[in-house]
Amino acid sequence: MSTDPVRIDVGMELEPVVQASNLTTSTMYAGASGDFNPLHYDQDFAGQVSPTGGIIAHGMFSMGLASRALTAFAGGPEKVLEVSVRFTRPWPLGTTSTFGGKVTGIEDGIATVQLWGDNEDGNRILRGTGRIAV
Amino acid sequence: MALNASKVGTTYPSYTYEVSREKIREYAIALGETDPRYVSDGDDCVAPPTFAACFTVMRGSASIFADDDLGAHHKLVHGSHGFRFGQRPLRPGDRLVCTPSITDISVRGANEMMTIEIECRFDDTGDHAVTSEAVIVFLGSAPEADTAEAAR
Repeated sequence: MSTDPVRIDVGMELEPVVQASNLTTSTMYAGASGDFNPLHYDQDFAGQVSPTGGIIAHGMFSMGLASRALTAFAGGPEKVLEVSVRFTRPWPLGTTSTFGGKVTGIEDGIATVQLWGDNEDGNRILRGTGRIAV
Repeated sequence: MALNASKVGTTYPSYTYEVSREKIREYAIALGETDPRYVSDGDDCVAPPTFAACFTVMRGSASIFADDDLGAHHKLVHGSHGFRFGQRPLRPGDRLVCTPSITDISVRGANEMMTIEIECRFDDTGDHAVTSEAVIVFLGSAPEADTAEAAR
């Protein structure tokens, strides 16, 4: 992003990304990423295999949104060294999730950022770590 | 059926991927990205970090899932994912050589966890571009689960 550089300190929080999931977001992500698992857009299929009985968003869509929050905070993709996440709960279509994070340490010019994604009930669907150059 | 743990350390054939401006744009729009460089027609166009998902998650695991000796099955969930990035973001025209391998298979309760690593390098320089690491959780196929089922 062409924003002015901001000094990054321990304790700073990312600007959250709030995202609704629906058939449009899910099929757009499927097309963009090439992941056409019908679990992410076909109710008949999802009804047989989904842990929730319904369509769920791609885990990698949630990772992309957490990374979007991290990258905007870091000042662009040049600054992002590493992103890793664990998928802790499914994200059902028709619900909204919020992605954010917080700087937990800085050492040798690299900030470690704890990442999270929460569903509408405040339960964690994703937790992870980013490393960015500062 | 349990996974064949002797497959740890197996490297699968490399494939190439060419980064294109329109694919970056499509991915950025799907993620609601706002950095104008992701949708730029100019030389400043770069890809978001997780754009790497487009050429690793499905394509990189295809040869592994097709390996009959591995015993992969489709009762699975994506447990975790990580990307480690090289010196610069990807740009239109980059050609990447991507090499998948199985780096770990372990048992947790009734489930098995397989780690797939895909190392992607720039074709022209050989420099590291991005490494993808996925942990796939295979549900209910741990050797102990097989034994318990057979004993019934």
